[in-house]
Amino acid sequence: MSSETISASVRESFAARTPLRIAAAGSWLDAGRPVRAESKLSLRDESGVTSYVPADLTITVRGGTSLAAIEATTKERKQWLPLDPYGSSEGTIGATIATASAGPLSSNFGLARDLVLGLEFVNGRGEIVRAGGKVVKNVAGFDLSRLLTGSWGSLGVITEATLRLYALPEIDRTFLVDLSGPEQRVTAVLQTMSTVPLTPYAFQLISGSITHALQLGDQPVGLIRFGGNSAAVKTQASALAQIANAEEVDIGVWTRLRQLESGAHTALRISSLPQRIVGTASRILSDNVPGVFTSIDPRRGVIRVVAGAVDGADSSNQIAAGVVQTDSSEIVFEKLPADLWSVVSPSVVADPLSQGIKRAYDPHNILNPGILGNLN
Amino acid sequence: MTQTAVRAETSAVDYPPDLAARLAEIVGEQFVLNRPSELLVYNSDGLPGYRRQPRLAVFPGTRDQAIAVVRLLAAEKIPFVPRGAGTGLSGGALADDIVIIGIHRLRKIISVDVDNRRATVEPGVVNLKLNRHVAALGLLYAPDPSSESACTIGGNVAENAGGPHCLKYGVTLNHVLGLTVVLPSGEVVELGSKVGEKDGYDLRGAFIGSEGCFGLALDVTVKLTPKPQAVRTLLADFMSVNDAAQVTSAVIASGIVPAALEFMDGATIRVVEDSIYAAGYPRDAQAILLIELDGLEAGVVADLETVRRICIDGGARNVRVARDEAERMKLWQGRKKAFGAMGRLAPHLIVQDAVIPRTKLPEILETIHQISEKHHVLVCNVFHAGDGNLHPNIAYSADDPAESERVHKAMREIMQACIAAGGSITGEHGVGLDKMGYMESIFPETSLNAMCELRSVFDPERRSNPGKVVPVHSCREWLAVPASRRAEKEPPPLEAQPSRPVA
Repeated sequence: MSSETISASVRESFAARTPLRIAAAGSWLDAGRPVRAESKLSLRDESGVTSYVPADLTITVRGGTSLAAIEATTKERKQWLPLDPYGSSEGTIGATIATASAGPLSSNFGLARDLVLGLEFVNGRGEIVRAGGKVVKNVAGFDLSRLLTGSWGSLGVITEATLRLYALPEIDRTFLVDLSGPEQRVTAVLQTMSTVPLTPYAFQLISGSITHALQLGDQPVGLIRFGGNSAAVKTQASALAQIANAEEVDIGVWTRLRQLESGAHTALRISSLPQRIVGTASRILSDNVPGVFTSIDPRRGVIRVVAGAVDGADSSNQIAAGVVQTDSSEIVFEKLPADLWSVVSPSVVADPLSQGIKRAYDPHNILNPGILGNLN
Repeated sequence: MTQTAVRAETSAVDYPPDLAARLAEIVGEQFVLNRPSELLVYNSDGLPGYRRQPRLAVFPGTRDQAIAVVRLLAAEKIPFVPRGAGTGLSGGALADDIVIIGIHRLRKIISVDVDNRRATVEPGVVNLKLNRHVAALGLLYAPDPSSESACTIGGNVAENAGGPHCLKYGVTLNHVLGLTVVLPSGEVVELGSKVGEKDGYDLRGAFIGSEGCFGLALDVTVKLTPKPQAVRTLLADFMSVNDAAQVTSAVIASGIVPAALEFMDGATIRVVEDSIYAAGYPRDAQAILLIELDGLEAGVVADLETVRRICIDGGARNVRVARDEAERMKLWQGRKKAFGAMGRLAPHLIVQDAVIPRTKLPEILETIHQISEKHHVLVCNVFHAGDGNLHPNIAYSADDPAESERVHKAMREIMQACIAAGGSITGEHGVGLDKMGYMESIFPETSLNAMCELRSVFDPERRSNPGKVVPVHSCREWLAVPASRRAEKEPPPLEAQPSRPVA
């Protein structure tokens, strides 16, 4: 397989106007709005490392390369791609970029858009387009890499990506912070943590339902990860001990957290100003709804709600109905039961600019048609 | 894009005779300039080798005035160039007999939210002004181009500006949350989000770095960063350029991410030391590295020791750590004002902005040295080594045709060497006019066409900053124009023009 093969398939579909469902590992096929496409375009064979120069801290991989494969390759050189989206590590880099997925590490290392240096994609005419480059800083021309990141395959099929890497930290430790107790006390702990000079790699507040699923008890807790040289980690661990009850847990908890939600039918993110999220975190976490996982990234200002991953009441209707977009928040839906999309979020590309871009890059609407909303 | 659009970009414009008067009705008479002598100051940017005389300049003082100006130009189908402080280094803010919309009067800091670390500003706010304003609150705005004391946030957004500290903190793109933009059609749109994260196409990401071709920002909401607990700045000097380059690669490979890692060669050191910006750099050194580390005190102290050891092992003659803030500022001033100091050498300066993979630094610096000897030009290298973002500068006189030719030849060869090394033609200055001729050497036709198409979505008539960034002849629709008719429409080849005597 090669970009030329993908390009040939898309050209054929362009000529015949056959809609394509783009897939690699297939982990995202139940996410996004329902796609009407008879044919599948598989990137399963488009995997492997194209080039890796460890001393440059950059890597170029084919779009269908799994996150696990990238981890294995970079780990040998004591490096990593600090991008940890929810789901299995068998998920691919192409899908991660296409869906702009990111996990707990994003509050320190940035979102997918911040780690992508360049892309190669095949547009809806079957043309191979290169965007960005292989160097860490680049403003040559308009930023097509950013445009493709988060476009859910609707503007182009990502065949290759160049990514920024980081060195693995000398020390990497995770602590569990007790967040049980009266709301006021918990809020005070969170407020203090947001003002003292801590620079964690990740910080997540998780509901009792998640704690339970991770076999860490059944109360809401905070998971905080410190990485860096030993002096920096030690200082932060002692600073944390001054603020809250904290015990060290195995670093593997992060992988388990990411992989909890397979099978979920509903996943959404509510984002708002970080301090507003901190102010309400304690109340949100204490509302422990069985079957609903709630996690909060207080520094990024994001609440993530997942339903259907474990047995419990089918709550997606209530969740979707309870979530109201206001001037002070934004909502992103990742997964919903198919019949709810048209009611809850029919389109996120209804504005004239997005419509114009879709028409320009995929004139026959053959790439994942409808996944972000329909053409007007 | 339609053929009409290509035609609009390459053909003459009809200017209504009362245009100045109608613009004056919107902004006030003193904020419209149309006498050639008044407009001279707007005929170049930070690269004085390029000159284009604008027809008229208009300076809206409020957001509503800016919208009204854009709408009037839209109604009359008149092209325009948005312009900030004119400190750009790519010829991007030049207006060739068209209208300049200057944004420097839109300079209100609309709001600062300390708790949530963000600020909303008008586009004409000067980068350093914002930084001084938030410094008192324990915060900073990370992108710090060397022109920070003059350049505007609107200009920074247009160019996706960088600066020394972007090595650790990222460029403008990584710090802009949302914007309000007036499109060339006059329509006002919100891109990104001021309060949270959005899905759908990343229109904010597409707008940042669009070099004034997608419209005019009316307000910009940026992320602010807490001031680090500790900052240490280290100066290492070397008797060999190659040693300094090898040390740069070694620091990056060590995995430590310095806040900044800057390189200055011997020629630059001596120019700076001769100027009012003298920073106390060792005059006899062949190269210095200015390395800054920041973060938590304990972590910084440990990293500083590691970096110091890498420098010494790599052949540094001396490694000195700034003892206090005053010494630190002095070391930085020499670096940030190096461009200005080069004014001592010759009346004109040409600078490149190529980025190379960081492991290629030693070999490219050697190549640049050979090219400069071959063409008898003096190259001063002062650049963001940690990012691999080169800035070879050549001071020269654009009025001397023979010298100009040698300088341009040398610059072309340097650029070609960087491209051959797998690099990019620009890391932070933008394509503008200056690097448009190189776009086809790094992008295939399909990429250039995709860029043309994106531009046409934002600006179907291609009236906002026409003739910049992507060569019009690389657009699909241009290729559809019969070859016999292309010649008459093709813009003239781009070369820096000698400066004209100032009247």
